[in-house]
Amino acid sequence: MIKFENVDVVYPNGYKGLSDISLEINQGEFVAIIGLSGAGKSTLIRAVNGLVPYTNGTLTVGETVVDPKNKSKLRKLRSKVGMIFQQFNNVGRISVLNNVLIGRSAFTPTWRSLIGWYGSQDKEVAFQSLERVGIVEKAYNRAAALSGGQQQRVAIARVLAQDPEVILADEPVASLDPPTARKVLGDLRTIQRDLGITCVVNMHHLDLARDYADRIIGMRNGEVVFDGPTQEATDSVIAEVYQRPLSADEIRQARGDGRLGEHIENPTEADLTQAVPAVEDGIERKDTV
Amino acid sequence: MSTAVSKRSVAAASAQGQSRPRPPSPKVPPYLGLAFLALVAFGLFCWTWEGDAVLFFPLGDVVLWAPRDPLIGLIIMVMALLICFKLRISPMGAFGGLALIAITYWAGSNIHFIDRIAEVPGRLTGGNTRQQLLGYFNPDWSYLFLHNVAGTSRPIWGEWLITLCMAVVATIIGCFIGLLLAMLASPVSSLNKGTSQTIKAINSVVRSIPDVAWALLFAAFIGGTAYGLGALAAVLALIMFNIGIVAKLLSESIDAIQPGPLEAADAAGANLIQRDRVAVLPAVMPSFISYSLYVFELNIRASAALGVVGVAGIGGELSRQIGRMSQGYENVGAILWALVFVVLLVDLLSLWIRRKLL
Repeated sequence: MIKFENVDVVYPNGYKGLSDISLEINQGEFVAIIGLSGAGKSTLIRAVNGLVPYTNGTLTVGETVVDPKNKSKLRKLRSKVGMIFQQFNNVGRISVLNNVLIGRSAFTPTWRSLIGWYGSQDKEVAFQSLERVGIVEKAYNRAAALSGGQQQRVAIARVLAQDPEVILADEPVASLDPPTARKVLGDLRTIQRDLGITCVVNMHHLDLARDYADRIIGMRNGEVVFDGPTQEATDSVIAEVYQRPLSADEIRQARGDGRLGEHIENPTEADLTQAVPAVEDGIERKDTV
Repeated sequence: MSTAVSKRSVAAASAQGQSRPRPPSPKVPPYLGLAFLALVAFGLFCWTWEGDAVLFFPLGDVVLWAPRDPLIGLIIMVMALLICFKLRISPMGAFGGLALIAITYWAGSNIHFIDRIAEVPGRLTGGNTRQQLLGYFNPDWSYLFLHNVAGTSRPIWGEWLITLCMAVVATIIGCFIGLLLAMLASPVSSLNKGTSQTIKAINSVVRSIPDVAWALLFAAFIGGTAYGLGALAAVLALIMFNIGIVAKLLSESIDAIQPGPLEAADAAGANLIQRDRVAVLPAVMPSFISYSLYVFELNIRASAALGVVGVAGIGGELSRQIGRMSQGYENVGAILWALVFVVLLVDLLSLWIRRKLL
């Protein structure tokens, strides 16, 4: 479904985001990408829909070769590749329904978007998407007035409205509290399984990755250092990815013995002490909830 | 309040008073340099001074003298330096203060500010000015409400209506064109860098021509001070004036919006127009409404100034009345008071609208 062949990403400032990535992600797989901040997880995901242009190699989604230079081809590709962000990226001042309808952009004539008059079919798709994530009753609320979990559901509905073949998710639950994170991720997993959508998710949470993913890809310094089914992602393998031993707490929680704690919510303690090569594109946003 | 904590902290402070950090005392040599600079500035002031008033200082046998205004400047500069030194301000900060005083002095001396302002009390109490001032505070309200514009059958208050209509039309058209140009001018929402740079350049040209100059241009192009055309010239001038303001302010608001929703729209495969419509426009809508209301207020005020070039509305009437000011200031006074009142009213109205909408 998604095929990386010797893909490199070099940023304009010369920083190497990905080096020589070769990967194949199959139809209907739920893949979790783990690794430290700055390991290239976001870059990998953003290369797939061309938000970050790759500089070398070949990247194919379905039958289409991603061509970062051809804007209209890129739009066509993006129409079937949805993306979910850590900060939800909803437009706060407009209604939930209108946010979901942004997902229909590629299928709507420009003049309809311009005057905000969407066809009844588009609206039907939007409502179905909202029903699927379970917040249809909020359709006419302002998006900024929802809680974090609800906002991420709006974002998922927006993506579903695209009727996507692939969903890319960049830290989708990192700004949510642990129980909400589980719920949202569980919903995403169910929807993905029901509709047979290929899903690539960046994650910080080891336990969540193990609970929900079919396959785990570990990244370090822009390279894939582990790739295998979830069962093979043992503690020692994960420690290898992170280049540090897991703490006893982390192991206990990753095995599912313990409750989800606050500190696994922030596995960046180690990140903070290590030199991070580059700031990832985490744009801080103050949520008004 | 004397809580236990405050008592304790006072005691601790008195015990360890010495250990509290204070701003470092500035070094003397830089301040001496600044004093030298002040002397240099004093020399410049003396050199460029055109007056001849002199201050004398009898000091025993010798009598020192110095030109009046430069000496005042020097004294202020030295005082400022001393205060800065006492307050332990860094030499760089003191230099800033010194420069501010020197520049102010230089600018003021070029327009003989001190000399002119000294004349004001004399002017206010005698002659024509007194009459005008009396007229201003005794406005002729009957003129404003009952009379017609000289030589026509149009009532004066009708001119207010025309002014208001001009402001409304100009605001609506100008703000929408401004919105469009702002979208094109900001690199965030524009087609490409080139377009954004070009539109920005055009915007700054539009903005650099003042509203009165626009009115003169349009009055020259489409003619006269006739009833219809005068208003048209004013409206066109106001439109250009509004485009300049809205395009500038709004494009800066667009520059500053959150990039997240834009990225989401991009990732959903939206094209540029769709992206600007669904992600950019909602984000800048509050700014747009706010700027539009502000521009409406400006238009009411500006239309009075535009009257000077002979266009329609209350501004035209105002300039006619200023022309015959020697026969009485009461009419001008009435118009000016009414202008204050109307602008205040519009201000309140826009405040109310803003509160309702945002």
